[in-house]
Amino acid sequence: MKRILVVDDEENIRFLFKEELEEEGFLVELASSGEEALERLSLFRPDLITLDIKMPGMNGIEVLKRIRELERNLPIVLCSAYGDYKQDFTTWASDAYVVKSADLTELKSTIRKFLERR
Amino acid sequence: MSGQDYAYDLLKKFLQISTVSLPMETKLEQILHSISEAFQPDQCLLLRPDQVNPNGLFLRVVSEKKALCIEDGASFDKEKIFPDEERFLCPAFICLPMADGEHFQGILYLGFSKHRHFLSEEVGLLLLLAKGIGELLRNEILHAEADQTIAKLTALHTQLSTLCELNKTLLTTVHFERILGMILTATTHGDGLGFNRAMLFMVDEKRRVLKGTIAVGPDNAEEAGRIWKALSHKGGSPSVVIPQIESPPESVSQLDLLVKGIEIPLEQEQCILVKTVLEGRPLNIRTSQSDEGWFRTGREGHCSLSSGVGCYEGRLLSRDPKSYAFATVPLWGKGRIIGVILVDNLFNQNTIKDEDIQFLSMFANQAGLAIENALLYRNLQEAHHELKEAQSLIIHNEKMAALGELSNTIAHEIKNPLTAIGGFARRLDRTTLSESPEKRYTETIIQEVAKLERVLNDFNHYTHEHSMIYDSQDLSRILEASLSSVTDEFSKGKIQLVKEYGEGIPKVLGDPHQLKHAFHNLIKNACESMVHKGTLSLRLYPFSKNGASYVRLEVKDTGKGIDPESLPNIFNPFYSTKKSSLGLGLPIVHKIVISHQGQIEVDNHPGEGVTFIITFPAFEGVAAQGQS
Repeated sequence: MKRILVVDDEENIRFLFKEELEEEGFLVELASSGEEALERLSLFRPDLITLDIKMPGMNGIEVLKRIRELERNLPIVLCSAYGDYKQDFTTWASDAYVVKSADLTELKSTIRKFLERR
Repeated sequence: MSGQDYAYDLLKKFLQISTVSLPMETKLEQILHSISEAFQPDQCLLLRPDQVNPNGLFLRVVSEKKALCIEDGASFDKEKIFPDEERFLCPAFICLPMADGEHFQGILYLGFSKHRHFLSEEVGLLLLLAKGIGELLRNEILHAEADQTIAKLTALHTQLSTLCELNKTLLTTVHFERILGMILTATTHGDGLGFNRAMLFMVDEKRRVLKGTIAVGPDNAEEAGRIWKALSHKGGSPSVVIPQIESPPESVSQLDLLVKGIEIPLEQEQCILVKTVLEGRPLNIRTSQSDEGWFRTGREGHCSLSSGVGCYEGRLLSRDPKSYAFATVPLWGKGRIIGVILVDNLFNQNTIKDEDIQFLSMFANQAGLAIENALLYRNLQEAHHELKEAQSLIIHNEKMAALGELSNTIAHEIKNPLTAIGGFARRLDRTTLSESPEKRYTETIIQEVAKLERVLNDFNHYTHEHSMIYDSQDLSRILEASLSSVTDEFSKGKIQLVKEYGEGIPKVLGDPHQLKHAFHNLIKNACESMVHKGTLSLRLYPFSKNGASYVRLEVKDTGKGIDPESLPNIFNPFYSTKKSSLGLGLPIVHKIVISHQGQIEVDNHPGEGVTFIITFPAFEGVAAQGQS
């Protein structure tokens, strides 16, 4: 079973992602901040991370940088409320950028794309 | 009668006559008559200076201003005189200089048929009288000269006060067209300069042409009469009358239309108008009967302004170019010639005198400055207008920036809960049986959340200046990608999709996200306009114009079209006819297309549908690469 780490400061988003992704057959672990995500990384050993950008404390871009230092090949999907950061070159280190929506089709297909490729 | 008495009488008469106000001729006649009575000569003459030869008989009289008394004419040496002076050789005669100091006014001559002795008192008296007559004549000349000077001064004064009046008139406005109208009205007005017609040509420095700008004057003699009659009824000084004269409606004056159509290149040096500009001096073209000189006019069917071969701009100014008399004066601005005034007297055929031209030139100097001022004022107004626009643009941009900042904060706060609401609604929806009443509830939540998400995305997009990453893009791929986000509408069978992609579509330079967003908005918009059923046609094809290649996308729907009243506003932000939209969809499309150097057109057929036509310039080179 593929393991996904969902990083988001919004509890309900975490809840939604967990429900939806588990239904897709993934094992889902949650982190409510960048710091927590970095802690979970070595224990949980995810196959993919979804990462919110706007978070209190360490933001998604920073987390992205730190994870890349540790795990060069781990797929990371940036997941933001808007496309604001799409053109920001600091997000290029991620593998995909998905704008959050109630319709999770795009997110799911993006995740599947990476996990099936592996 | 004693010697003393006649002398006294004669002097008294002379004084009387010279002080009475009578014409000079009469005075002289009466004086001569009195002298004749006193001396009883056979001839009593006044010789004007031009009747006196200073080298002959009258040599001494003229040169030394002394009396010549000959008591025995026969003894006079005829060798010393000219033949035509022999008539003066009476048996006795006396010549007296009519001189007033320096000024020699002629000779008083008395001739007697018998020998006669001249007493010294008589000679003295006659000398005195001759001198008196000389002074009288001198006075008369001075008088006449004074009168002439006064007349000249009066004329000058009239001209100056007219000029002053006209200037006053010009000062009443800085409105460019009005100034021009006034100048020409003043030029043609009877109390002004009084020409029949006046035309004004302005120098267009950029295009190097002399352009007909305005003309004032009747179209025919009949109208001329009517206007002059009307003007003479108005009365008052030009400064009062001219501003009252309303410029006639556009189409009224044929002459104005004619002149407005005239354009003469400044290279046409043979044209009198151009010559006036180049030489900077007035030209008075009376008529041109000869082919000689530096200009030639009036070969049959040719230009009245003698433009030379290839330019017949002035051919319609008069019926007979051969006898067309006109004058031109340059209009001086600040240190340069800004135009030319052309005047003629086509209807009353009055000769244009050099004084008229001089006067017109004086006026033209003022007029030129007035025009220059009006132009400056106009430029100032334009600059002011531009500044105002720039200012409102800045204010608009600042507003948008503030709005963006605010919206960004709020939008982020709303977006996450909305995602959760919608996400769980979808989860509920999946587990709800389609027959159950709850199905409608969940569907409604999903739809409304989707709408809200769109509003937020649009808002976020419009208020953010996205830094775009331009790269070579395949529009058909971007179009496909944007179609995939609206598959719902097509899968439900509500809307039929027709795609037509042309061959060899060049790539364009652009940002894929932006372009996708723009196409998405257009497609979504088209789908929403077709409420029940309809066809969405997408045409993508290359075309070239003026040697440049373009890619064009047509998005056509069969919806209700756009209300013609709303049409001018569809690209304005926050203008929406839809209840559920912020009205940012089309403004975003517009913004994105413009930022891609593209063009957007709308082909609107209310009730039948609307087609949005977007044209992007092809990205050369890369298009070739793409093909290889």
